[in-house]
Amino acid sequence: MLLIFDDKHKEHLSFLTDTETDVVREFCKISMEFIRKGSNRKIYQGAAQKLKVDVETVQHGVEGLMYLLTECSKLMLNEIDFQDSILTLGFSEDMRQTLLELYLQNRREIRAIMSEMAMDLPHYQNLEWRFDVQLASRSLRRQTTPVVTFKLHIDDAGERETKVLQTDPVNLVHLTKVLDEALQEMKSPYCRRIARNIK
Amino acid sequence: MELSQAVIDSLSIVGDSAHVPNKCYQRLLDAAFDGVVDSEQRNRISGDEAFGGVDKAALKEAYAGLVSCIIEATKHDTEAASLEAVLEDCKFTADRIKAFISSYQERKQILQILLGNVGVTPPHIVDVDWRLDYYIKNNHLEKVNQAVYLISLKTEVPGKPGIQDVQFSCTQEQLQDFVGKLKDATKCLEKISASQ
Repeated sequence: MLLIFDDKHKEHLSFLTDTETDVVREFCKISMEFIRKGSNRKIYQGAAQKLKVDVETVQHGVEGLMYLLTECSKLMLNEIDFQDSILTLGFSEDMRQTLLELYLQNRREIRAIMSEMAMDLPHYQNLEWRFDVQLASRSLRRQTTPVVTFKLHIDDAGERETKVLQTDPVNLVHLTKVLDEALQEMKSPYCRRIARNIK
Repeated sequence: MELSQAVIDSLSIVGDSAHVPNKCYQRLLDAAFDGVVDSEQRNRISGDEAFGGVDKAALKEAYAGLVSCIIEATKHDTEAASLEAVLEDCKFTADRIKAFISSYQERKQILQILLGNVGVTPPHIVDVDWRLDYYIKNNHLEKVNQAVYLISLKTEVPGKPGIQDVQFSCTQEQLQDFVGKLKDATKCLEKISASQ
């Protein structure tokens, strides 16, 4: 898969083709900082003064780089596809190697940041359990009722939620068995074949 | 088992054949036991013609006395011998005591299960549903490619009709962790039951 750039994007990045690899590295550092924390105009001004160019040019350069890195990471481009994609941008061989290196270095982090942005369902975080024997209640004395109490921790978009649940030994064995089967299902030839074919 | 004076008075009406004739006793006894077990049977004596000759107020009090006695005896898991002593004090004949005790012993187990369900407990897990998805991509990210399980724990909540769901999702690793902990709990239970 190749990434296709539109003309505006190419134009924004063209500023970088005439600079040193050190500048590209610095721009990449800034881009990563902005991907992590959001953009900061002050940094554009400082860089523009240093390089003696317009603030806008710097801004476009950084934004173009951010777009390049996020799009490639989003598509999970491999090395060859990345190199082929940036071939049309007019960078020198050295520069392309630098960009590739920076892309591979940061891809994991960018994907992690983007996966945080993705919609998520309330998901399992932890389970605590304890085992009690109920001996009596207001309505029934002299019991020996085994009870397994659970505290289920669920994470819903950063919000922790705990639920207290209980069960009896028979249902506990049943629950364990059914969920263990669910776990084994992913290892079945059918599921493995599907997973292998979705690339 | 200790009964209040009011209950003893009511039971004495049951023991008195002037109020509850012999032919009605077994029917009243069955109605009381059935009423405790099944809420739909609770009004049965009101329309029953077999009790036509019995004074309504006395019948009501007799029924209430029997129900109280049954529930108290079940609650304290009372032995037949001490139950016998209580009923003797309330002027029950030997036949009536025998009938009561045999009905009591026959239904004690189910009565105790019912009483055990009264009270406040956390939602009780009775079953589980699961679904396995393969998460491919979202609007921010392509090639996510991981297994996602959707788990729905089916729980019964005291005082609420039907089944309540507790739902959450988990990755394969998270489910592994969850099942691992459930297995620990199961093993712990097995060890305890084996050591007894």
